Amino acid sequence: MTNVIINASKYIILLMMILYAISCYTAFRKVDEKEKTAKLNKQIIYVFVMHFLAYLTFALRNVEQMKTIVIFYGLQIFVATMYMYLYHYIYPYSSRVIANNMCFLLLIGYIMLTRLNFALAKKQFIIATASLVLVSVIPTIMDRNKNLRKYGTVYGVLGIVALSSVFVIGVEQYGSVNWISLFGITIQPSEFVKILFVFFIASMLSKSRDFKQVMITTAFACVHMGVLVLEKDLGGALIFFVIFICMIYVGTGKIAYLITFIAGGVAMAGLAFLLFKDRLFDHVMVRVNVWKNPWADIRGTGYQITQSLFAIGSGGYFGSGLTKGSPDVIPVSESDFIFSAIAEEFGVIFAIFLILVCFSCFISFVTIAMHVRNRFYKTMAFGFAICYMFQTFLSIGGVTKFIPSTGVTIPLVSYGGSSVLSSLIMFSIMQGISTIENKEAKKIEEERRNIEQAAQGA
Amino acid sequence: MKKKEETLNKPRKGRKKKEIDQRLLTPEQRAFLEKEEKIDKINNKMNGPIIGITYLVAFLVIGLIAYILHFMIVEKDEVIANAANTRLDSYAADVNRGDIVTKDGKTVATNKNGKRYYPYDNLFAHAVGYSDYTKAGVELVGNYYLMDSHANLLERAVNTLREEQNEGDTVVTTLNYELQQTAYDALGGADGAVVMMEPDTGRILAMVSKPDFDPNDIDTVWQEANAEGSTSSVLLNRATQGLYPPGSTFKVLTALTYMRQYPRKYEKYSYNCSQTEAIFNSVSVHCYGRKTHGQQDLSEALANSCNQAFADIGTQLNVNKWKDTLESFLFNQSLPYMDASATSRFTLDGKSDKGYIPQTAFGQGDTLITPLHNAMIVSTIANGGLMMKPYLIDSVENYKGKRVKKFSPSSYDTLMTSDEVDTLTGYMRKVVTQGTAADYFAGASYEAAGKTGTAEYANGEHDFSWFIGFTSVDHPEVAVSIVVEESDVNGVKATAIARKLFDTYYSISE
Repeated sequence: MTNVIINASKYIILLMMILYAISCYTAFRKVDEKEKTAKLNKQIIYVFVMHFLAYLTFALRNVEQMKTIVIFYGLQIFVATMYMYLYHYIYPYSSRVIANNMCFLLLIGYIMLTRLNFALAKKQFIIATASLVLVSVIPTIMDRNKNLRKYGTVYGVLGIVALSSVFVIGVEQYGSVNWISLFGITIQPSEFVKILFVFFIASMLSKSRDFKQVMITTAFACVHMGVLVLEKDLGGALIFFVIFICMIYVGTGKIAYLITFIAGGVAMAGLAFLLFKDRLFDHVMVRVNVWKNPWADIRGTGYQITQSLFAIGSGGYFGSGLTKGSPDVIPVSESDFIFSAIAEEFGVIFAIFLILVCFSCFISFVTIAMHVRNRFYKTMAFGFAICYMFQTFLSIGGVTKFIPSTGVTIPLVSYGGSSVLSSLIMFSIMQGISTIENKEAKKIEEERRNIEQAAQGA
Repeated sequence: MKKKEETLNKPRKGRKKKEIDQRLLTPEQRAFLEKEEKIDKINNKMNGPIIGITYLVAFLVIGLIAYILHFMIVEKDEVIANAANTRLDSYAADVNRGDIVTKDGKTVATNKNGKRYYPYDNLFAHAVGYSDYTKAGVELVGNYYLMDSHANLLERAVNTLREEQNEGDTVVTTLNYELQQTAYDALGGADGAVVMMEPDTGRILAMVSKPDFDPNDIDTVWQEANAEGSTSSVLLNRATQGLYPPGSTFKVLTALTYMRQYPRKYEKYSYNCSQTEAIFNSVSVHCYGRKTHGQQDLSEALANSCNQAFADIGTQLNVNKWKDTLESFLFNQSLPYMDASATSRFTLDGKSDKGYIPQTAFGQGDTLITPLHNAMIVSTIANGGLMMKPYLIDSVENYKGKRVKKFSPSSYDTLMTSDEVDTLTGYMRKVVTQGTAADYFAGASYEAAGKTGTAEYANGEHDFSWFIGFTSVDHPEVAVSIVVEESDVNGVKATAIARKLFDTYYSISE
């Protein structure tokens, strides 16, 4: 009987995923508030069904721990429900689409982590829940402080200092020195500096967009990236670079900057490669070679990626079924390689729809960026949109061997305190921008209506 | 996704403008509207880059999804069948490991009393392998298929509901029972390896390695082989992983290299082997058994396996180009073979001490080769210069015998011109009709060609006996590569094994 339930769950979970992903896209189209609300409520149902079946599977497969699993499940549902319903009441101008997606991604992450390592799942849940409470004040802060755009250089300097802190109190993980240890907790500063960096560029460009200002901004950005390169965090440097060029382009509207900076970036990378080939780039070369042919050294350098491909391939389109694969064989399957773990057990179709959900998340960020008319918020919103999507792309592309692996996590899904907290901050800032934008839009709308009435009344 | 972009470009409902009669408005209201209009205009302009980049991102995401689908449709099967994919073992709970059978229908691996059972004991030890402790042979390379089930859907659904195991698929090997038995018996108590394959397909018909073991007793064998201080190499498949000096079989490649470097001169090549010893690059060289062969052209030098003539040829070769030729024949390269195989070695280049050249030219020196690799080289000559990738799995059937997958021959590369092939084939035919193999092939009903070899090792105290060859000259049918260790002690000659194998091949195909 257990087997029947587990097998049936597999297909129902997939169905729910497909329905959810589709509704992510159709939710944009309907403008009728009522219909939209109904759609968003349905989304919550899809998520809950999926989540319930996953935990049912865990409970059935692990009867001894059933009680812990049930309690853990209950807590998750409680927090998610509270969040999805309450957040909207506290912040009526916030985006429900984003709130739903945020919970969805977190819950998918919890499910996979429970599967891979129960202790990590619990830790992730505690960190994420605490973070949720913490970051819920962000929209209020943003709404009340319209001066945030004035501190451009402060963000820049702070960011550089925080990034450089690893040289003083850094610890090495996975071949890069980009973690610091504070009071016994390891933190990855670049996760948070990313946010400061977006603030920094948005703020600089909101002040002025002349050549001098752009050059000052570029100088700061180069220092950021330079520090990351010195830390051997080339994936991080790449993300910063992409955020930088996209934001400069959107902020100034000049495609010449985009082209120049891409050319400049390539030239710099080439130069750095020639100069520091041995010191900085040997592990880059290893990664590129592994990407080109992981099969040459299956047991050594190619181990991660080949295990990841075995996982994705062995799972097939419909997946092995939750708890029935062996995603734990993939190294760091709980963070960098979580996509492969998901693909193995939930199936490739599920995984592709997950990519589509992530993309819809990006689109909802972009929508906010397009609607908000203040240059500071607009540039910033788009910066976060790119930051989110590019990171997701690097992570998924890396583990599927589409591009060389850069050791990046999928926001909210992968395990990692720094990653979850910084992603939640990012999502909350987007909610803040959404709130500001919606409020303003409403005000203008009212004003316009008054004028219309006045015009008709006369 | 397309629709998505369209909705992005649509103006929001809230901001739709109605025509308003400007004259009815107060100056403040007019100013407000004008300002709003201006802001909207700037906003639209600023959204241009956003839309552009968003399209680019959409393009990347579509690329990623397309790539994943491509992986699933085109590459997946080959990837997950990789022997290093250990996760297949986790499927063991759901699938009853399938059988392994020979092409002629003998079951060589099955399950009995919940254990893996090998009905022919030692006979297929290395070729079929074993599946406990670690996996080897067909058990390893066919693991994915053995653990997959293509029993009919309904049956599988019922089994899943009952929580019973599904029947795994049967792997049909390319091996032939009769030929395997012949090779096994012919090698007898001697250590060494035999590989027999079809030159035009790469299908391996027989693969024997000795010393051997009984895979039914893998528990004991494994423990003994892995005991501390154990030097046992019984688990090593010498056919694919044994590295031997190629001895005189290497002269075939030396001759080919000479032909390539002296295309106009090689037919007129001549060497007078009149003394038991001669000096080349200040190294003294003698022929096997200290014989003298007299005046030799290239074909005679090969037929009689004249070391002095080949030492002389060696001194005339451009060593770097020689190395290039050999590397094109997969020396110092991994073999295109599904299972683990050792890499053959050729170490000379332009910078090497010239004193190594003479010995290397006739197959001594530091050169090492696996029997499988030698089989591939001789097959390339037999197959008109086209090297085929050797393989061991013919097809996969479900447990009821319905075919679910068929493996086709695939070629590696064309390594020789047809002129080169014709010339070398002529020389190798001479080896069998008049040369060192003539005694062994007297009265054969088929036309064979080949090259014998005797490699010295342990400072010349012991001999390895080699034979590589094929039949039939005009229409290649089968090729062999055989090596026998310590043939001077056990008296087993590789050429004699080849004769037996060819005879059996023709007796069963009649």
